[in-house]
Amino acid sequence: MSHLLEAVDLFKTFRPRRAWPWSKKSVALEPTSFTLEAGQTLAIMGETGSGKSTLSKIIAGVEAPTGGELYLNGQKLNYAQSKRRCQNIRMVFQDSDKSLNQQLTVGQQLEEPLLFNRDMPSSERKQLINSTLRKVGLLAEHAAFYPHMLSTGQKQRVAIARAIILDPQIVVADEALVALDPSVRAQIINLMLDLQKDMGISYIIVTHSPQIVKHIADKILILYRGKMIAFNETERLLTEKQQPYIEALLHEHLTNHSQITGNSSAKVTE
Amino acid sequence: MDLLDIRNLTIEMDGPHGRVRVLDKVSLQLKEGEVHSLVGESGSGKSLLAKAVIGVLNPLWDVTADRLWWNGKDLLAMTPKQRRAITGRDMAMIFQDPLAYLDPNSTVAEQITEAIPAGDVTGTFMHRRIDRKTRVAQLLHRVGIRDHDAIMQSYPYELSEGVAQKVSIAIAIAHRPKLLIADEPTTAMEPSTKDQIQRLLGKLAVSQNMSVLLITQDVASILPATQRVSLLYCGQMMEHGDTETILNRPAHPYTDAMIKMSLQAHAELDPKSKLPSLPGAVPTLRHMPIGCRLGPRCPYAQKQCVKAPLVRHREEQSYYCHFPLNEPES
Repeated sequence: MSHLLEAVDLFKTFRPRRAWPWSKKSVALEPTSFTLEAGQTLAIMGETGSGKSTLSKIIAGVEAPTGGELYLNGQKLNYAQSKRRCQNIRMVFQDSDKSLNQQLTVGQQLEEPLLFNRDMPSSERKQLINSTLRKVGLLAEHAAFYPHMLSTGQKQRVAIARAIILDPQIVVADEALVALDPSVRAQIINLMLDLQKDMGISYIIVTHSPQIVKHIADKILILYRGKMIAFNETERLLTEKQQPYIEALLHEHLTNHSQITGNSSAKVTE
Repeated sequence: MDLLDIRNLTIEMDGPHGRVRVLDKVSLQLKEGEVHSLVGESGSGKSLLAKAVIGVLNPLWDVTADRLWWNGKDLLAMTPKQRRAITGRDMAMIFQDPLAYLDPNSTVAEQITEAIPAGDVTGTFMHRRIDRKTRVAQLLHRVGIRDHDAIMQSYPYELSEGVAQKVSIAIAIAHRPKLLIADEPTTAMEPSTKDQIQRLLGKLAVSQNMSVLLITQDVASILPATQRVSLLYCGQMMEHGDTETILNRPAHPYTDAMIKMSLQAHAELDPKSKLPSLPGAVPTLRHMPIGCRLGPRCPYAQKQCVKAPLVRHREEQSYYCHFPLNEPES
Protein backbone atom coordinates (compact mmCIF):
# COMPACT_ATOMS: atom_id res chain seq x y z
CA MET A 1 0.00 0.00 0.00
CA SER A 2 1.64 3.17 -1.16
CA HIS A 3 1.20 6.52 0.45
CA LEU A 4 -0.70 9.32 -1.26
CA LEU A 5 2.29 11.62 -1.16
CA GLU A 6 5.77 10.65 -0.14
CA ALA A 7 8.74 12.96 -0.04
CA VAL A 8 12.21 11.49 0.13
CA ASP A 9 15.07 13.80 1.05
CA LEU A 10 13.66 16.89 -0.61
CA PHE A 11 16.05 19.79 -0.28
CA LYS A 12 16.61 23.23 -1.71
CA THR A 13 19.63 25.52 -1.79
CA PHE A 14 20.01 29.02 -3.13
CA ARG A 15 23.02 30.92 -4.36
CA PRO A 16 23.44 33.74 -1.83
CA ARG A 17 23.41 37.35 -2.92
CA ARG A 18 26.69 38.86 -4.08
CA ALA A 19 28.40 35.50 -4.31
CA TRP A 20 30.45 33.71 -6.90
CA PRO A 21 28.85 30.73 -8.62
CA TRP A 22 31.33 28.42 -6.91
CA SER A 23 30.94 29.82 -3.41
CA LYS A 24 28.95 28.05 -0.70
CA LYS A 25 25.20 27.82 -1.15
CA SER A 26 22.74 28.94 1.47
CA VAL A 27 20.34 26.23 2.50
CA ALA A 28 16.63 26.97 2.51
CA LEU A 29 15.55 23.41 3.21
CA GLU A 30 17.64 20.52 4.45
CA PRO A 31 16.77 16.98 3.29
CA THR A 32 13.21 16.38 4.44
CA SER A 33 11.16 13.19 4.21
CA PHE A 34 7.53 12.76 5.09
CA THR A 35 4.40 10.91 4.04
CA LEU A 36 0.77 11.91 3.68
CA GLU A 37 -2.22 9.57 3.55
CA ALA A 38 -5.47 10.15 1.67
CA GLY A 39 -8.04 12.23 3.52
CA GLN A 40 -5.58 13.46 6.12
CA THR A 41 -4.29 16.90 6.93
CA LEU A 42 -0.63 17.76 7.30
CA ALA A 43 0.32 21.01 9.00
CA ILE A 44 3.72 22.56 8.38
CA MET A 45 4.75 24.84 11.23
CA GLY A 46 7.73 27.03 11.89
CA GLU A 47 8.96 30.55 12.39
CA THR A 48 9.54 33.07 9.63
CA GLY A 49 12.43 31.93 7.47
CA SER A 50 12.22 28.31 8.58
CA GLY A 51 11.58 27.11 5.03
CA LYS A 52 7.92 26.21 5.41
CA SER A 53 6.86 28.26 2.41
CA THR A 54 9.72 26.82 0.37
CA LEU A 55 8.57 23.31 1.18
CA SER A 56 4.97 24.06 0.23
CA LYS A 57 6.12 25.69 -3.01
CA ILE A 58 8.19 22.63 -3.90
CA ILE A 59 5.20 20.38 -3.29
CA ALA A 60 2.93 22.58 -5.38
CA GLY A 61 5.50 22.77 -8.15
CA VAL A 62 6.12 26.51 -8.00
CA GLU A 63 9.81 25.91 -7.39
CA ALA A 64 12.07 23.07 -8.41
CA PRO A 65 13.79 21.15 -5.62
CA THR A 66 17.59 20.99 -5.78
CA GLY A 67 17.43 17.31 -4.98
CA GLY A 68 15.24 14.56 -3.62
CA GLU A 69 12.15 12.85 -4.89
CA LEU A 70 8.44 13.26 -4.57
CA TYR A 71 6.11 10.28 -5.07
CA LEU A 72 2.41 10.69 -5.76
CA ASN A 73 0.41 7.45 -5.36
CA GLY A 74 3.66 5.55 -5.48
CA GLN A 75 4.74 7.01 -8.82
CA LYS A 76 7.57 9.46 -9.08
CA LEU A 77 6.51 13.04 -9.71
CA ASN A 78 9.11 15.13 -11.52
CA TYR A 79 9.23 18.91 -11.44
CA ALA A 80 8.45 19.12 -15.16
CA GLN A 81 5.33 16.94 -14.96
CA SER A 82 3.12 19.95 -14.52
CA LYS A 83 0.11 18.36 -16.20
CA ARG A 84 -0.10 15.52 -13.73
CA ARG A 85 0.86 17.72 -10.83
CA CYS A 86 -1.71 20.44 -11.41
CA GLN A 87 -4.54 17.92 -11.69
CA ASN A 88 -3.69 16.37 -8.36
CA ILE A 89 -2.04 19.09 -6.28
CA ARG A 90 -3.65 22.53 -6.15
CA MET A 91 -2.74 25.58 -4.13
CA VAL A 92 -4.70 28.25 -2.23
CA PHE A 93 -2.88 31.48 -1.43
CA GLN A 94 -2.90 33.88 1.48
CA ASP A 95 -4.27 36.92 -0.28
CA SER A 96 -7.32 35.98 -2.34
CA ASP A 97 -7.44 39.59 -3.55
CA LYS A 98 -4.16 39.19 -5.36
CA SER A 99 -4.50 35.56 -6.41
CA LEU A 100 -7.76 36.11 -8.29
CA ASN A 101 -7.71 37.81 -11.66
CA GLN A 102 -9.61 41.08 -11.38
CA GLN A 103 -10.31 41.21 -15.12
CA LEU A 104 -12.21 37.92 -15.38
CA THR A 105 -15.54 36.91 -13.89
CA VAL A 106 -15.63 34.16 -11.32
CA GLY A 107 -17.08 31.78 -13.92
CA GLN A 108 -14.27 32.48 -16.39
CA GLN A 109 -11.65 31.92 -13.71
CA LEU A 110 -13.15 28.61 -12.73
CA GLU A 111 -13.39 27.61 -16.38
CA GLU A 112 -9.68 28.11 -17.05
CA PRO A 113 -8.37 24.97 -15.32
CA LEU A 114 -11.08 22.95 -17.09
CA LEU A 115 -10.10 24.35 -20.50
CA PHE A 116 -6.47 23.37 -20.00
CA ASN A 117 -6.94 20.02 -18.29
CA ARG A 118 -10.26 18.49 -19.25
CA ASP A 119 -11.79 17.67 -22.60
CA MET A 120 -15.43 18.49 -22.02
CA PRO A 121 -18.09 20.46 -23.92
CA SER A 122 -19.02 23.90 -22.69
CA SER A 123 -22.41 22.84 -21.31
CA GLU A 124 -20.74 20.29 -19.04
CA ARG A 125 -18.17 22.85 -17.97
CA LYS A 126 -20.98 25.22 -16.97
CA GLN A 127 -22.66 22.49 -14.97
CA LEU A 128 -19.46 21.60 -13.18
CA ILE A 129 -18.82 25.27 -12.34
CA ASN A 130 -22.34 25.60 -10.94
CA SER A 131 -22.04 22.54 -8.77
CA THR A 132 -18.58 23.54 -7.52
CA LEU A 133 -19.80 27.01 -6.58
CA ARG A 134 -22.65 25.44 -4.64
CA LYS A 135 -20.21 23.09 -2.92
CA VAL A 136 -18.26 26.01 -1.47
CA GLY A 137 -21.39 27.78 -0.28
CA LEU A 138 -21.91 30.26 -3.10
CA LEU A 139 -24.74 30.52 -5.61
CA ALA A 140 -24.66 29.63 -9.31
CA GLU A 141 -25.32 33.32 -10.06
CA HIS A 142 -21.94 34.23 -8.56
CA ALA A 143 -20.32 32.94 -11.76
CA ALA A 144 -21.19 36.23 -13.45
CA PHE A 145 -19.61 38.35 -10.69
CA TYR A 146 -16.22 40.02 -10.84
CA PRO A 147 -13.97 39.55 -7.80
CA HIS A 148 -14.35 43.16 -6.64
CA MET A 149 -18.08 42.59 -6.16
CA LEU A 150 -17.47 39.90 -3.56
CA SER A 151 -16.50 40.15 0.09
CA THR A 152 -13.23 38.78 1.46
CA GLY A 153 -14.80 35.56 2.64
CA GLN A 154 -16.54 34.97 -0.67
CA LYS A 155 -13.28 35.62 -2.53
CA GLN A 156 -11.54 33.02 -0.39
CA ARG A 157 -14.38 30.64 -1.21
CA VAL A 158 -13.84 31.27 -4.93
CA ALA A 159 -10.13 30.55 -4.48
CA ILE A 160 -11.02 27.26 -2.82
CA ALA A 161 -13.52 26.49 -5.59
CA ARG A 162 -10.78 27.04 -8.15
CA ALA A 163 -8.57 24.64 -6.24
CA ILE A 164 -11.15 21.83 -5.96
CA ILE A 165 -12.77 22.09 -9.41
CA LEU A 166 -10.37 19.52 -10.91
CA ASP A 167 -11.17 17.09 -8.10
CA PRO A 168 -7.59 17.08 -6.79
CA GLN A 169 -6.17 14.76 -4.17
CA ILE A 170 -4.12 17.37 -2.34
CA VAL A 171 -4.76 21.05 -1.65
CA VAL A 172 -1.85 23.13 -0.40
CA ALA A 173 -2.94 26.16 1.63
CA ASP A 174 -0.11 28.60 2.25
CA GLU A 175 -1.16 30.84 5.17
CA ALA A 176 -4.66 30.90 3.72
CA LEU A 177 -6.30 31.41 7.11
CA VAL A 178 -4.29 34.00 9.01
CA ALA A 179 -5.34 37.27 7.43
CA LEU A 180 -9.09 36.62 7.66
CA ASP A 181 -11.60 38.08 10.07
CA PRO A 182 -12.57 35.77 12.95
CA SER A 183 -16.08 34.98 11.68
CA VAL A 184 -14.88 34.43 8.11
CA ARG A 185 -11.97 32.31 9.32
CA ALA A 186 -14.30 30.03 11.25
CA GLN A 187 -16.57 29.72 8.21
CA ILE A 188 -13.66 28.84 5.91
CA ILE A 189 -12.29 26.25 8.33
CA ASN A 190 -15.74 24.67 8.53
CA LEU A 191 -15.93 24.64 4.74
CA MET A 192 -12.53 23.00 4.41
CA LEU A 193 -13.46 20.30 6.92
CA ASP A 194 -16.75 19.64 5.11
CA LEU A 195 -14.99 19.32 1.77
CA GLN A 196 -12.50 16.92 3.30
CA LYS A 197 -15.32 14.76 4.56
CA ASP A 198 -17.23 14.80 1.26
CA MET A 199 -14.44 14.57 -1.30
CA GLY A 200 -11.64 12.97 0.68
CA ILE A 201 -9.18 15.76 -0.06
CA SER A 202 -5.86 15.87 1.79
CA TYR A 203 -4.69 19.26 2.95
CA ILE A 204 -1.19 20.54 3.45
CA ILE A 205 -1.57 23.62 5.61
CA VAL A 206 1.23 26.08 6.23
CA THR A 207 0.60 28.20 9.28
CA HIS A 208 2.11 29.49 12.48
CA SER A 209 -1.04 29.43 14.52
CA PRO A 210 -0.99 26.44 16.90
CA GLN A 211 -4.71 26.69 17.69
CA ILE A 212 -5.77 26.16 14.08
CA VAL A 213 -3.26 23.33 13.72
CA LYS A 214 -4.59 21.57 16.80
CA HIS A 215 -8.07 21.79 15.40
CA ILE A 216 -7.61 20.52 11.86
CA ALA A 217 -4.30 18.69 11.50
CA ASP A 218 -3.75 14.93 11.69
CA LYS A 219 0.00 15.23 11.42
CA ILE A 220 2.39 18.05 12.19
CA LEU A 221 5.74 18.76 10.58
CA ILE A 222 7.89 21.32 12.37
CA LEU A 223 10.74 23.09 10.63
CA TYR A 224 13.46 25.09 12.29
CA ARG A 225 15.91 26.94 10.08
CA GLY A 226 15.25 24.62 7.20
CA LYS A 227 15.67 21.48 9.25
CA MET A 228 12.82 19.14 10.06
CA ILE A 229 12.85 18.72 13.83
CA ALA A 230 9.59 16.90 14.31
CA PHE A 231 7.14 14.91 12.23
CA ASN A 232 4.45 13.06 14.06
CA GLU A 233 0.76 12.69 14.70
CA THR A 234 -0.86 15.68 16.39
CA GLU A 235 -2.08 13.66 19.37
CA ARG A 236 1.35 12.29 20.11
CA LEU A 237 3.13 15.60 19.64
CA LEU A 238 0.73 17.27 22.04
CA THR A 239 0.64 14.63 24.72
CA GLU A 240 4.16 13.25 24.82
CA LYS A 241 7.16 15.10 26.17
CA GLN A 242 8.97 17.06 23.49
CA GLN A 243 11.95 19.29 23.06
CA PRO A 244 11.47 22.67 24.74
CA TYR A 245 11.37 24.46 21.38
CA ILE A 246 8.56 22.27 20.06
CA GLU A 247 6.60 22.61 23.26
CA ALA A 248 6.97 26.36 23.10
CA LEU A 249 5.87 26.48 19.48
CA LEU A 250 2.85 24.28 20.08
CA HIS A 251 1.79 25.97 23.27
CA GLU A 252 2.66 29.48 22.19
CA HIS A 253 4.84 30.45 25.08
CA LEU A 254 7.75 31.11 22.78
CA THR A 255 9.48 34.29 23.87
CA ASN A 256 12.73 36.03 23.12
CA HIS A 257 13.74 33.28 20.81
CA SER A 258 14.22 34.96 17.48
CA GLN A 259 15.89 38.15 18.58
CA ILE A 260 17.56 40.27 15.99
CA THR A 261 18.43 38.10 13.04
CA GLY A 262 18.08 39.76 9.70
CA ASN A 263 17.18 36.64 7.76
CA SER A 264 17.36 33.53 9.84
CA SER A 265 17.13 31.27 6.81
CA ALA A 266 20.49 32.21 5.30
CA LYS A 267 22.82 29.59 6.67
CA VAL A 268 26.00 28.56 4.95
CA THR A 269 26.85 24.90 4.58
CA GLU A 270 30.12 23.35 5.58
CA MET B 1 -10.92 64.06 33.75
CA ASP B 2 -10.67 61.81 30.74
CA LEU B 3 -7.74 62.29 28.42
CA LEU B 4 -9.84 61.58 25.38
CA ASP B 5 -13.59 61.97 25.54
CA ILE B 6 -15.64 61.01 22.49
CA ARG B 7 -19.42 61.21 22.62
CA ASN B 8 -21.65 60.24 19.71
CA LEU B 9 -19.05 60.61 17.00
CA THR B 10 -20.69 60.30 13.58
CA ILE B 11 -18.87 60.27 10.26
CA GLU B 12 -20.82 60.50 7.03
CA MET B 13 -19.44 60.28 3.54
CA ASP B 14 -20.88 60.72 0.08
CA GLY B 15 -20.34 57.54 -1.85
CA PRO B 16 -21.30 56.89 -5.44
CA HIS B 17 -24.59 55.44 -4.16
CA GLY B 18 -25.62 58.22 -1.81
CA ARG B 19 -24.80 59.24 1.71
CA VAL B 20 -23.38 56.55 4.00
CA ARG B 21 -22.94 56.66 7.74
CA VAL B 22 -19.63 54.91 8.30
CA LEU B 23 -19.48 55.63 12.01
CA ASP B 24 -22.78 55.82 13.85
CA LYS B 25 -22.80 57.51 17.26
CA VAL B 26 -19.69 55.99 18.74
CA SER B 27 -18.65 56.95 22.24
CA LEU B 28 -15.32 56.22 23.84
CA GLN B 29 -13.57 57.48 26.94
CA LEU B 30 -9.87 57.06 27.55
CA LYS B 31 -8.21 57.85 30.87
CA GLU B 32 -4.60 58.80 31.29
CA GLY B 33 -2.27 55.80 31.39
CA GLU B 34 -5.05 53.43 30.41
CA VAL B 35 -4.71 50.63 27.88
CA HIS B 36 -7.84 50.40 25.80
CA SER B 37 -8.52 47.79 23.13
CA LEU B 38 -10.81 48.45 20.21
CA VAL B 39 -11.96 45.20 18.63
CA GLY B 40 -13.80 44.84 15.35
CA GLU B 41 -13.75 42.95 12.08
CA SER B 42 -12.55 44.61 8.91
CA GLY B 43 -14.90 47.33 7.73
CA SER B 44 -16.13 48.10 11.22
CA GLY B 45 -14.69 51.61 11.21
CA LYS B 46 -12.10 51.12 13.92
CA SER B 47 -9.33 52.68 11.85
CA LEU B 48 -11.68 55.54 10.94
CA LEU B 49 -12.16 56.28 14.62
CA ALA B 50 -8.39 56.47 15.09
CA LYS B 51 -8.06 58.70 12.05
CA ALA B 52 -10.80 60.98 13.34
CA VAL B 53 -8.89 61.40 16.59
CA ILE B 54 -5.63 62.13 14.77
CA GLY B 55 -7.49 64.38 12.35
CA VAL B 56 -6.39 62.96 9.03
CA LEU B 57 -9.78 62.16 7.56
CA ASN B 58 -10.82 63.29 4.12
CA PRO B 59 -12.00 66.93 4.59
CA LEU B 60 -15.05 66.26 2.41
CA TRP B 61 -16.49 63.85 4.95
CA ASP B 62 -18.80 65.12 7.64
CA VAL B 63 -17.46 64.62 11.13
CA THR B 64 -19.92 65.54 13.84
CA ALA B 65 -19.80 64.77 17.51
CA ASP B 66 -21.43 65.87 20.73
CA ARG B 67 -17.96 65.85 22.13
CA LEU B 68 -14.50 65.23 20.77
CA TRP B 69 -12.43 66.48 23.65
CA TRP B 70 -8.74 66.16 24.28
CA ASN B 71 -7.85 67.04 27.85
CA GLY B 72 -10.95 69.22 28.12
CA LYS B 73 -10.33 71.05 24.84
CA ASP B 74 -12.69 70.64 21.93
CA LEU B 75 -10.76 69.25 18.96
CA LEU B 76 -13.51 69.96 16.44
CA ALA B 77 -13.74 73.68 17.28
CA MET B 78 -10.01 74.27 16.75
CA THR B 79 -8.35 75.70 13.70
CA PRO B 80 -6.32 73.12 11.77
CA LYS B 81 -3.09 74.72 13.00
CA GLN B 82 -4.00 74.45 16.67
CA ARG B 83 -5.14 70.91 16.12
CA ARG B 84 -1.91 69.92 14.39
CA ALA B 85 0.06 71.35 17.30
CA ILE B 86 -1.81 69.10 19.75
CA THR B 87 -1.70 66.05 17.52
CA GLY B 88 2.01 66.44 16.85
CA ARG B 89 2.90 66.93 20.49
CA ASP B 90 0.64 64.51 22.30
CA MET B 91 -0.31 61.70 19.93
CA ALA B 92 1.55 59.04 17.99
CA MET B 93 0.49 56.15 15.85
CA ILE B 94 2.00 52.84 14.75
CA PHE B 95 0.74 50.71 11.89
CA GLN B 96 0.28 47.14 10.83
CA ASP B 97 3.14 46.90 8.35
CA PRO B 98 6.28 48.52 9.77
CA LEU B 99 8.29 47.89 6.65
CA ALA B 100 5.85 49.96 4.61
CA TYR B 101 5.90 52.71 7.23
CA LEU B 102 9.68 53.09 7.54
CA ASP B 103 11.60 55.01 4.91
CA PRO B 104 13.59 52.53 2.82
CA ASN B 105 16.16 55.14 1.85
CA SER B 106 17.50 56.13 5.26
CA THR B 107 18.97 54.25 8.18
CA VAL B 108 17.14 53.56 11.41
CA ALA B 109 19.27 56.14 13.26
CA GLU B 110 18.37 58.90 10.80
CA GLN B 111 14.68 58.13 11.07
CA ILE B 112 14.60 58.11 14.85
CA THR B 113 16.71 61.29 15.01
CA GLU B 114 14.13 63.08 12.91
CA ALA B 115 11.46 62.28 15.46
CA ILE B 116 13.37 63.69 18.46
CA PRO B 117 11.98 67.18 19.24
CA ALA B 118 14.39 70.03 18.56
CA GLY B 119 13.97 71.47 22.05
CA ASP B 120 15.26 68.32 23.70
CA VAL B 121 18.89 68.80 22.72
CA THR B 122 20.89 71.94 23.48
CA GLY B 123 24.47 73.19 23.33
CA THR B 124 26.90 73.54 20.48
CA PHE B 125 26.55 71.73 17.21
CA MET B 126 28.75 68.83 18.34
CA HIS B 127 26.96 68.56 21.68
CA ARG B 128 23.63 68.36 19.96
CA ARG B 129 24.96 65.71 17.62
CA ILE B 130 26.24 63.53 20.42
CA ASP B 131 23.11 64.09 22.49
CA ARG B 132 20.92 62.99 19.65
CA LYS B 133 22.95 59.85 19.17
CA THR B 134 22.67 58.87 22.82
CA ARG B 135 18.95 59.63 22.75
CA VAL B 136 18.52 57.28 19.80
CA ALA B 137 20.40 54.53 21.62
CA GLN B 138 18.27 55.11 24.73
CA LEU B 139 15.08 54.87 22.72
CA LEU B 140 16.20 51.64 21.11
CA HIS B 141 17.00 50.19 24.53
CA ARG B 142 13.62 51.27 25.79
CA VAL B 143 11.87 49.22 23.11
CA GLY B 144 13.99 46.18 23.89
CA ILE B 145 16.70 46.32 21.24
CA ARG B 146 20.03 45.67 22.87
CA ASP B 147 22.63 45.81 20.09
CA HIS B 148 21.79 49.37 19.17
CA ASP B 149 24.99 49.97 17.17
CA ALA B 150 24.14 47.37 14.55
CA ILE B 151 20.48 48.32 14.33
CA MET B 152 21.14 52.07 14.10
CA GLN B 153 23.18 51.64 10.97
CA SER B 154 20.90 49.19 9.21
CA TYR B 155 18.28 49.99 6.62
CA PRO B 156 14.68 48.78 7.07
CA TYR B 157 15.03 45.92 4.59
CA GLU B 158 17.70 44.37 6.80
CA LEU B 159 15.40 44.17 9.82
CA SER B 160 13.09 41.33 10.70
CA GLU B 161 9.39 42.05 11.17
CA GLY B 162 9.48 42.25 14.95
CA VAL B 163 12.50 44.52 15.09
CA ALA B 164 11.04 46.82 12.45
CA GLN B 165 7.87 47.11 14.52
CA LYS B 166 10.00 47.91 17.58
CA VAL B 167 11.80 50.64 15.63
CA SER B 168 8.47 52.13 14.59
CA ILE B 169 7.44 52.12 18.26
CA ALA B 170 10.72 53.86 19.13
CA ILE B 171 9.92 56.57 16.57
CA ALA B 172 6.43 56.90 18.00
CA ILE B 173 7.57 57.38 21.60
CA ALA B 174 10.49 59.70 20.74
CA HIS B 175 8.50 62.81 21.64
CA ARG B 176 6.88 61.28 24.74
CA PRO B 177 3.28 61.26 23.52
CA LYS B 178 0.36 60.96 25.90
CA LEU B 179 -1.56 58.70 23.57
CA LEU B 180 -0.22 55.94 21.36
CA ILE B 181 -2.63 54.58 18.79
CA ALA B 182 -1.58 51.12 17.65
CA ASP B 183 -3.44 50.18 14.49
CA GLU B 184 -3.31 46.37 14.29
CA PRO B 185 0.38 46.21 15.27
CA THR B 186 0.50 42.43 15.57
CA THR B 187 -1.87 41.11 12.90
CA ALA B 188 -0.13 38.71 10.51
CA MET B 189 2.86 38.30 12.84
CA GLU B 190 4.00 34.96 14.12
CA PRO B 191 3.14 34.12 17.73
CA SER B 192 6.58 34.68 19.26
CA THR B 193 7.04 38.14 17.74
CA LYS B 194 3.44 39.00 18.52
CA ASP B 195 4.01 38.15 22.15
CA GLN B 196 7.11 40.35 22.35
CA ILE B 197 5.41 43.39 20.82
CA GLN B 198 2.36 42.98 23.05
CA ARG B 199 4.43 42.80 26.22
CA LEU B 200 6.47 45.78 25.07
CA LEU B 201 3.36 47.91 24.54
CA GLY B 202 1.99 46.93 27.94
CA LYS B 203 5.30 47.78 29.61
CA LEU B 204 5.61 51.13 27.85
CA ALA B 205 2.12 52.14 28.91
CA VAL B 206 3.15 51.72 32.53
CA SER B 207 6.69 53.10 32.37
CA GLN B 208 5.88 56.15 30.22
CA ASN B 209 2.44 56.78 31.73
CA MET B 210 1.11 56.67 28.21
CA SER B 211 -2.40 55.74 27.13
CA VAL B 212 -2.55 53.08 24.47
CA LEU B 213 -5.47 52.66 22.11
CA LEU B 214 -4.96 49.24 20.61
CA ILE B 215 -6.92 48.36 17.50
CA THR B 216 -7.28 44.64 16.75
CA GLN B 217 -9.42 42.23 14.75
CA ASP B 218 -9.51 39.42 17.23
CA VAL B 219 -10.45 39.24 20.90
CA ALA B 220 -7.55 36.81 21.34
CA SER B 221 -4.92 39.40 20.46
CA ILE B 222 -5.82 42.18 22.89
CA LEU B 223 -3.02 43.16 25.21
CA PRO B 224 -2.70 41.30 28.50
CA ALA B 225 -2.51 44.70 30.19
CA THR B 226 -5.78 45.92 28.67
CA GLN B 227 -8.07 47.51 31.21
CA ARG B 228 -11.03 48.26 28.99
CA VAL B 229 -12.39 46.82 25.73
CA SER B 230 -14.73 48.26 23.12
CA LEU B 231 -16.32 46.28 20.33
CA LEU B 232 -17.27 47.88 17.05
CA TYR B 233 -19.34 46.36 14.28
CA CYS B 234 -20.14 48.14 11.00
CA GLY B 235 -19.60 51.54 12.53
CA GLN B 236 -21.75 50.95 15.57
CA MET B 237 -20.50 50.48 19.09
CA MET B 238 -21.68 47.13 20.40
CA GLU B 239 -20.33 46.94 23.90
CA HIS B 240 -17.66 48.52 26.03
CA GLY B 241 -16.41 48.10 29.53
CA ASP B 242 -14.02 46.41 31.87
CA THR B 243 -11.98 43.60 30.22
CA GLU B 244 -12.62 40.95 32.87
CA THR B 245 -16.36 41.48 32.91
CA ILE B 246 -16.69 41.59 29.14
CA LEU B 247 -14.66 38.45 28.54
CA ASN B 248 -16.41 36.49 31.29
CA ARG B 249 -19.97 37.76 31.05
CA PRO B 250 -20.59 39.36 27.65
CA ALA B 251 -23.95 41.09 27.35
CA HIS B 252 -24.02 41.60 23.60
CA PRO B 253 -24.48 38.63 21.21
CA TYR B 254 -21.67 40.00 19.03
CA THR B 255 -19.20 39.98 21.91
CA ASP B 256 -20.28 36.47 22.74
CA ALA B 257 -19.72 35.35 19.15
CA MET B 258 -16.33 37.08 18.94
CA ILE B 259 -15.15 35.30 22.07
CA LYS B 260 -16.37 31.96 20.77
CA MET B 261 -14.71 32.56 17.40
CA SER B 262 -11.34 33.58 18.83
CA LEU B 263 -8.35 31.31 18.36
CA GLN B 264 -8.09 30.46 22.04
CA ALA B 265 -11.60 29.03 22.01
CA HIS B 266 -10.76 26.83 19.01
CA ALA B 267 -8.11 25.00 20.96
CA GLU B 268 -10.65 23.77 23.49
CA LEU B 269 -13.00 22.21 20.94
CA ASP B 270 -12.72 18.65 19.65
CA PRO B 271 -10.44 18.35 16.64
CA LYS B 272 -12.29 18.52 13.31
CA SER B 273 -15.57 19.55 14.91
CA LYS B 274 -17.63 22.43 13.54
CA LEU B 275 -16.47 25.85 14.68
CA PRO B 276 -19.07 28.33 15.90
CA SER B 277 -19.43 31.28 13.56
CA LEU B 278 -21.80 34.10 12.72
CA PRO B 279 -23.69 33.34 9.50
CA GLY B 280 -23.27 35.59 6.48
CA ALA B 281 -20.72 38.31 5.87
CA VAL B 282 -20.10 41.88 6.97
CA PRO B 283 -22.53 44.06 4.95
CA THR B 284 -21.09 46.46 2.40
CA LEU B 285 -21.49 50.22 2.67
CA ARG B 286 -24.26 50.14 0.04
CA HIS B 287 -26.42 47.73 1.96
CA MET B 288 -26.24 48.78 5.58
CA PRO B 289 -29.10 47.28 7.59
CA ILE B 290 -31.29 49.72 9.46
CA GLY B 291 -31.41 49.75 13.23
CA CYS B 292 -28.94 47.50 14.92
CA ARG B 293 -26.54 46.62 12.13
CA LEU B 294 -25.82 43.18 13.55
CA GLY B 295 -29.52 42.35 13.07
CA PRO B 296 -29.40 40.13 9.95
CA ARG B 297 -26.56 38.02 11.37
CA CYS B 298 -27.68 37.92 14.99
CA PRO B 299 -29.08 34.62 16.29
CA TYR B 300 -31.22 36.42 18.89
CA ALA B 301 -32.66 39.16 16.65
CA GLN B 302 -36.34 40.01 16.92
CA LYS B 303 -38.71 42.66 15.64
CA GLN B 304 -37.41 45.42 17.91
CA CYS B 305 -33.95 45.18 16.37
CA VAL B 306 -34.91 47.40 13.42
CA LYS B 307 -34.70 50.24 15.94
CA ALA B 308 -31.18 51.10 17.01
CA PRO B 309 -30.93 50.31 20.71
CA LEU B 310 -29.91 52.96 23.21
CA VAL B 311 -27.04 52.45 25.57
CA ARG B 312 -27.73 50.39 28.69
CA HIS B 313 -25.49 49.93 31.66
CA ARG B 314 -24.79 46.98 33.88
CA GLU B 315 -22.17 47.33 36.58
CA GLU B 316 -18.84 47.63 34.76
CA GLN B 317 -20.09 47.39 31.19
CA SER B 318 -22.29 49.29 28.75
CA TYR B 319 -23.98 47.66 25.80
CA TYR B 320 -26.26 48.48 22.91
CA CYS B 321 -28.70 45.61 22.66
CA HIS B 322 -32.41 44.92 23.23
CA PHE B 323 -31.85 41.33 24.28
CA PRO B 324 -28.69 41.08 26.39
CA LEU B 325 -27.16 37.77 27.40
CA ASN B 326 -25.93 36.66 30.80
CA GLU B 327 -28.41 38.76 32.77
CA PRO B 328 -27.72 38.56 36.50
CA GLU B 329 -30.37 36.65 38.41
CA SER B 330 -32.43 38.98 40.52
